[in-house]
Amino acid sequence: MNTLRLYIKSIGMLLKSHLQYPSSFIMQTLAQLVMEGGEMMVVILIVDRFESLKGWSGGNLYFFFGIMSVSFYLTELFGRGITGDFPSMVRTGRLDTFLTRPRGVLTQVLCGGTDPRRITCIAVGVAALIMGSGLSGIAWTPLKALVLVESIAMSCLLILGLFMIEAIFSIFSVKSVELVNAITYGGRSACQYPIDIYPLPLRALFTVIAPFALTMHVPAAWIMDKPLYGWPAWTAFVTPLSGALVFVVMTALFHLALRHYRSTGS
Amino acid sequence: MSYFTVFKMRLRMELQYRGAMIGGILCQMFFGLILVALYRALYDSKPQTLPIESVATYVWLQQAFFRMMLASDSELVDKIRSGDIAYDMCRPVDMYGFYYARIMAQKLMGSLMRAVPMLVVAFLLPKGWGMSLPSSFVGLLAALPALFLGLLCVCALENITVAFTMKTLDPRGMQGLLNLLMITLSGNLFPLTLFPESWQRVLKFFPYSQLLDAPIRLYTGEYAPASAFGVYALQAFWVVALIALGAAMWNANKKRMIVQGG
Repeated sequence: MNTLRLYIKSIGMLLKSHLQYPSSFIMQTLAQLVMEGGEMMVVILIVDRFESLKGWSGGNLYFFFGIMSVSFYLTELFGRGITGDFPSMVRTGRLDTFLTRPRGVLTQVLCGGTDPRRITCIAVGVAALIMGSGLSGIAWTPLKALVLVESIAMSCLLILGLFMIEAIFSIFSVKSVELVNAITYGGRSACQYPIDIYPLPLRALFTVIAPFALTMHVPAAWIMDKPLYGWPAWTAFVTPLSGALVFVVMTALFHLALRHYRSTGS
Repeated sequence: MSYFTVFKMRLRMELQYRGAMIGGILCQMFFGLILVALYRALYDSKPQTLPIESVATYVWLQQAFFRMMLASDSELVDKIRSGDIAYDMCRPVDMYGFYYARIMAQKLMGSLMRAVPMLVVAFLLPKGWGMSLPSSFVGLLAALPALFLGLLCVCALENITVAFTMKTLDPRGMQGLLNLLMITLSGNLFPLTLFPESWQRVLKFFPYSQLLDAPIRLYTGEYAPASAFGVYALQAFWVVALIALGAAMWNANKKRMIVQGG
């Protein structure tokens, strides 16, 4: 609990510091809105031209898009320390100061960064979810709402876990590894759309290695009453937990890697 | 000639980062594959008049030359923030031309080094997944000058973005907005050829569609080689207009420049 209080306090402070330059903050937030709006426009254009995608209606596609953008940008909003700043912490040696303090390194890294500009991206995601839910005619029940919340929370953990791969790599090689972006940002691009439209290798990658399909598509498809691959209802509750599993494994690896950390000395 | 020397120096520098380049290429190829897979799935649901091969070619060419569009001179932005740009004002060359040459070298080399290996692999992919041959040999020949004019155009656009940065000092806001406009309206995010027809009629006159969209359409044969000179004229018009606008903005900025820091 103490850790949580610390985290909330740090985030509050960072937020205040971001708001010190209001005009810049507003400009950047606006830029984010246009960015995510552009991504959403692509989905709208696709629906306009193609109407449906392998049995998924336009409304379904908006819902999938919304769940991805809400999860991805929530992660970037609260986990900026991992998703953005970590490699530079290693490069500049800022990580050293964390090692001397009486708190977990991961906690401190997470406390060290937030990206409130993403709030507009999340807003676009929420709008897409509402639009998708309306167009798909989802009959909401408390259970469905619960699955949605679980799916988003577990997806956030999954995305955080995937970004930690990059963090782990950056401990061993000071140069950042662009290739890891393929599964984080690539995963975002690919899994904005339901997994079953892709050929097998891509499906395997995003089901087994980076299980976006399990944390997002299985529950979302169940919510829309079109179960993915016709899997039974209980899978919608169980498969998202894979996100937590990835996070736990990556946390363990992260701590293992930290033991091999050698400061850049600068 | 001094501009040419600046250009050559930047070319050499761009050649230094080969490791980052390979990672970048693989990442970009993966994105290309995802996009092609998505469009193939969409075509399975509802085939369009535009053949899928042409969409795949569009995606690969956009991915291959991605670096031409999004490679800002981060050193320059830092210089603006730190005030070091004052040193560049001491040089006996026009600042606009100096940076135009630098940005062009970076974009040309950055995109060529990535495009060549990527396009080779894209050609090897099976039909409908990879890149197809140009509609005709003349089409290919017609696309090359268009690509060069597109490069001139994108460098002029980049200099306008930098001019805005000089005003606001914060690169992220305005630069972000302009870059997004570029990515969306140049067809990188979604092929312009799949935009609604009524939009396309307007969008093809925008400066953004001159960068890669026009050369790609010449390549795939959507613009007949005979119409190439019309395309070049439009591109040349934008190059001149954008350079004039950019140079005017730089000159205005020079008059009211306050150097940061001390």
